[in-house]
Amino acid sequence: MKLAYYPGCVSRSTGREMDLSTRAVSAALGIELEEIEDWNCCGATHVSHELVATGLAARNMAQTDLPIMTSCSICYSNLRTAVQNMEEPETRAKVNAVLTKKYSGARIRHALDVILEVLEKNDDLLAVPLKDLKVAPYYGCLLTRPRGVYSPEFPTILEKLIKTLHAEPLDFRLKTFCCGGPIFMPQEKAAEDIAFMILSEAKAAGAEVIVTVCPLCHFMLDTKQKSLEQKRGEKIGIPVLYVTQLVGIALGLGPEELGLNMNSVSPMPMMEKVYERMNE
Amino acid sequence: MPDVADLKFKQDVLRMAGSEVQTCIQCGTCSASCPTAHLMNPSIRKLIKLCLEGKKDEALKNDTLWLCTSCLLCTVRCPRGIRPKAVVAALKDMAEREGIRSKDAAYEQIFTKQIRDYGRIAELPLTGEFLLVFPQAVVQSMEVGLEMAPRGKMALGIEKIRGREEVKRIVEELGEQ
Repeated sequence: MKLAYYPGCVSRSTGREMDLSTRAVSAALGIELEEIEDWNCCGATHVSHELVATGLAARNMAQTDLPIMTSCSICYSNLRTAVQNMEEPETRAKVNAVLTKKYSGARIRHALDVILEVLEKNDDLLAVPLKDLKVAPYYGCLLTRPRGVYSPEFPTILEKLIKTLHAEPLDFRLKTFCCGGPIFMPQEKAAEDIAFMILSEAKAAGAEVIVTVCPLCHFMLDTKQKSLEQKRGEKIGIPVLYVTQLVGIALGLGPEELGLNMNSVSPMPMMEKVYERMNE
Repeated sequence: MPDVADLKFKQDVLRMAGSEVQTCIQCGTCSASCPTAHLMNPSIRKLIKLCLEGKKDEALKNDTLWLCTSCLLCTVRCPRGIRPKAVVAALKDMAEREGIRSKDAAYEQIFTKQIRDYGRIAELPLTGEFLLVFPQAVVQSMEVGLEMAPRGKMALGIEKIRGREEVKRIVEELGEQ
């Protein structure tokens, strides 16, 4: 399978482990990725002008004829929304008027969906079944919204993937509740309250790991976790992995390939348990 | 008799966020779905009412716009098919253009400026520029920086794409429409 790959800006900084693990897992699963030529930022959640946001996404999509894969839910939502917006002839005409390469349609896939498709057909690729590992599936908002292939409030694809890895998906009530990330910079307190609530819920559910599909969710739950513990005086201590990192562990890929040393809360104690259970 | 400027404002919101906004029945599903509703004044429901009444000043000068996390649950649930987040986005865009200064508007402006000039976002320069207008954020920025830098998760430079002229056209020319 050959796909165009849109890494998104975070792949160069705060989400480097997302990018590393996406490339490593894709290679291991025989998914050939061709990075989109000279890609630009999708606008994330900070470009309020809708036509501008559509234009930014359309420029990326016009660079390739292949289906486009991305690991970032924000990029995914923006690209997908732009595909819908570009179906309106007036919007398409306005945007194409400023584009160098004209947009003529695109198909967008989240890495999660591509990985599941390959894994379901190739169960033998699982080198390290994640037996009995209790995983909190955390979708956040934008994988499923506004409209797309998954239910915007009760999606189940993460649970399906977690089961494919032989792990146990927890019934996680806040799985599609916003992490607060987009307002973290200007409205710190509000964002932190939300993130801590999600972490507490995962702890109460007995999670050994939280899995995310978005770099902003990952930032709020992993990078900020220690600071939140200090501010709230409550220990959480749950590693937060990108879905590609969790899959990579099950495929037997090494910590360096998956960028596991870049996570703030070390997943190493969890990995030890996984190996112990495998040998039981 | 409503003021002409008020009507113009209402028309601008409908043009940018969709004419279906005027079918709002004020049911409050948007407010009930919002993860930051408890901090908002006016609520997202009231904000839509203010737009339809043409109350521009009240609609633009509030924290509500900047407490929206773009989670889109309001948009998913609205029984009228209205996109309340699109209303918020339209109002943010207007507030920025009108020069209504706030730290939140500043962050978005710097973000868009980086895209316009370089094509991509680099978090460190973005944060640096934001700190110039909002120095109070230095503690939270340092805290995050200290967490990420040792893990190799801070890009120091800015990556400039080749298609900068094209991206500038997207931001500026489409931004005028």
